[in-house]
Amino acid sequence: MDAVIEFAQGPLFRVTFGIMILGLIRLVVLDLINAVEAYRRAGDKSLAWTAAITKTVSWLFPLKRAFTQRPVYSVISIVFHIGLILVPIFLLAHIQLWEAGLGISWWSLPHFWADLLTITTIVTGAALFFGRIGQRSAQALSRTQDYLWPILLIIPFVTGYICANTVVGPATYQLSMLVHLLSAELIFVLIPFTKIAHCVLMPLSQFIITLAWKFPARVDDKICTTLKKKGAPV
Amino acid sequence: MRTQPINEQERERAFSSVKKPEVTERQQLDVRYHVEDHEVTGRPRAFLEAFAAILRHTNYRMALEHFVRVSAKCARCAVQCPVYQATNDVKDIPCYRSELLLSVYRRHFTMSGSLIGRLTGTGHLTDETVQQMAESFWNCTACRRCTIECPVGIDHALITHLGRFILSEIGIAPRALVVSTREQLEGKTGNTSAVPVPALSDTLEFLEEDMEEEKGVPIKFPLDVEGAEYLFTPAVSDFLMEAETLMGIAAVFAATGGSWTISTNYFDAINYGLFYNDRILERVIRKLYSETERLKTRAILIGECGHASRTAKYYVPVHCGGDQAKPVYNIMEYTYRMYKEGKLKLQPGTITEKVTYHDPCNIARQGWIVDQPRELIRAFCSDVVEMQPLGQDNICCGGGGGTVSIDEIRPYRTTVGGKAKADQIRATGAKYLIAPCANCKKQLRELVEDQEIDCEVVGLHDLIYKAIMFEGQPAEMQTAQEKG
Repeated sequence: MDAVIEFAQGPLFRVTFGIMILGLIRLVVLDLINAVEAYRRAGDKSLAWTAAITKTVSWLFPLKRAFTQRPVYSVISIVFHIGLILVPIFLLAHIQLWEAGLGISWWSLPHFWADLLTITTIVTGAALFFGRIGQRSAQALSRTQDYLWPILLIIPFVTGYICANTVVGPATYQLSMLVHLLSAELIFVLIPFTKIAHCVLMPLSQFIITLAWKFPARVDDKICTTLKKKGAPV
Repeated sequence: MRTQPINEQERERAFSSVKKPEVTERQQLDVRYHVEDHEVTGRPRAFLEAFAAILRHTNYRMALEHFVRVSAKCARCAVQCPVYQATNDVKDIPCYRSELLLSVYRRHFTMSGSLIGRLTGTGHLTDETVQQMAESFWNCTACRRCTIECPVGIDHALITHLGRFILSEIGIAPRALVVSTREQLEGKTGNTSAVPVPALSDTLEFLEEDMEEEKGVPIKFPLDVEGAEYLFTPAVSDFLMEAETLMGIAAVFAATGGSWTISTNYFDAINYGLFYNDRILERVIRKLYSETERLKTRAILIGECGHASRTAKYYVPVHCGGDQAKPVYNIMEYTYRMYKEGKLKLQPGTITEKVTYHDPCNIARQGWIVDQPRELIRAFCSDVVEMQPLGQDNICCGGGGGTVSIDEIRPYRTTVGGKAKADQIRATGAKYLIAPCANCKKQLRELVEDQEIDCEVVGLHDLIYKAIMFEGQPAEMQTAQEKG
């Protein structure tokens, strides 16, 4: 068991974390390449930068917008995202591992807040899952991954909480730790290839859609040629 | 925004179809709008070919690549869509509609999608999906409220816009729009309403006489003046249906001494290309621009029309030289500037009845013109009430996205599309509903009629005409005006 945990903590972590980072960099780079090409082709290069920045910031910190529609869902979703982002990055136990491995460290969450955010993430994650099952409009849109993600995301939080806060036998501890590691690593690998890619792509959205409405100049002729419609009536 | 879903009786009315069953059978297309006959065999293949050609020559691939990766399916757009609120049919949720096209893109134009699709032998485009898109994309009024409500930033309006574009390339587009545009680009009259030039000049001459009689000062519609400052083009339907709006605009120019002209060669700002095909949009823009070059005007001025203003403002730069292109303004911008400069005098208290202002989506959604008309209205109306929500968050009249021009779907527009708007109008209790957009005006008149709301729909300049004051105007006419 120890050897398996060590493997999951060491080589497997490095590989999966690397896949996530490289995968996310790839997505951002692809988006930027597409955007540069679109900008080059755009007939009108004046972009409403200020509006795009304002909208991006307002959705990154959706305090105003969120509560005008579906306030309950909005609060749940926001609380879920806060824990999901803060706990893995700012948990003292995680930072200590970074320090031991790479010698780097940063500010950590006080123990109380780390615990509280872990619990709120678990509770809101479960709420999102049941909300998706129970709501007609969400059901109609949901794919398999949409149901699975909230569950998968709270597994490392539940197991992490068990390891950090409860008095359990060594076997349970080891099992929890292993599940904690493996589920987190599965998440790392899946992030760049699923909807969770929005963690890095979402801040680019407003720029992409602003640019998307700037069409290339004079495409009528080109499309007609490709579709063999030249000279055809309207 | 919340509106009650329609009841069974309303549903039956809204979705009733006037199309003959044999046409539906022949075209193998069960949609409520009329479509011209087109090749029906091999439709999915033709759709994919058109999709590929469009992706190759445009910027849509960038957006679609981004959307298929970020789409989180949160269903938040459902609460913002007036159509879904009215029908309560999940197929009308913006994200559901978008997925119709995104899934085709994913399956046929991404590597992972086509690999999985080929391995499992699933997901390829079928005639049934083409049919679903043909119905769904034209249920939408293109109001773009869903876009401002999407947390991850998916532009559902852009997806619907593209979906309609591809469909039109395989012959599926509302006949009403296609036939009008054909007349505009290739017909004898060169405009969407087929107004001949003699009819135009007669109408304007008649209006000039009317105005002089009413206001006591000469007010002209200058035709074909080379070198004028503004080339003025309204939606051509204004010449037939909105005489009072045109009179108000002419009066503003007369009072402010502005230099403007109407071209008898081309006098139609309508651009249905925005609603169904980017190639058409481009052709209409180029036709408009060549007219301003021919008459050597400094700028283009669009009348009270939302989509015409939006297409000219945003696509003249795209197709006619970027920042070197001549500027485009909406008439409300001109009138407002004249008012602020003190050149336009409006008689306070001219309108004492309760008025409210409708923001056309194509003018207000991007925050272009929101406050200026309100300031003008308050200058001469004593009882102004606002609808909620307003401005950038406004609710569509229900006839947006070109649907207002499709007469055969009027029951749908006034029962489903305009349901939320009707609730809003009723809540204000206004006598006058000001809508500075030809499309909105037509839709709102049909809406208040079908929904039995006691309210008169007018343009902004219709009322300005009543309130405008001229220097040198005979005193008795000013007094008459003050008395309303």
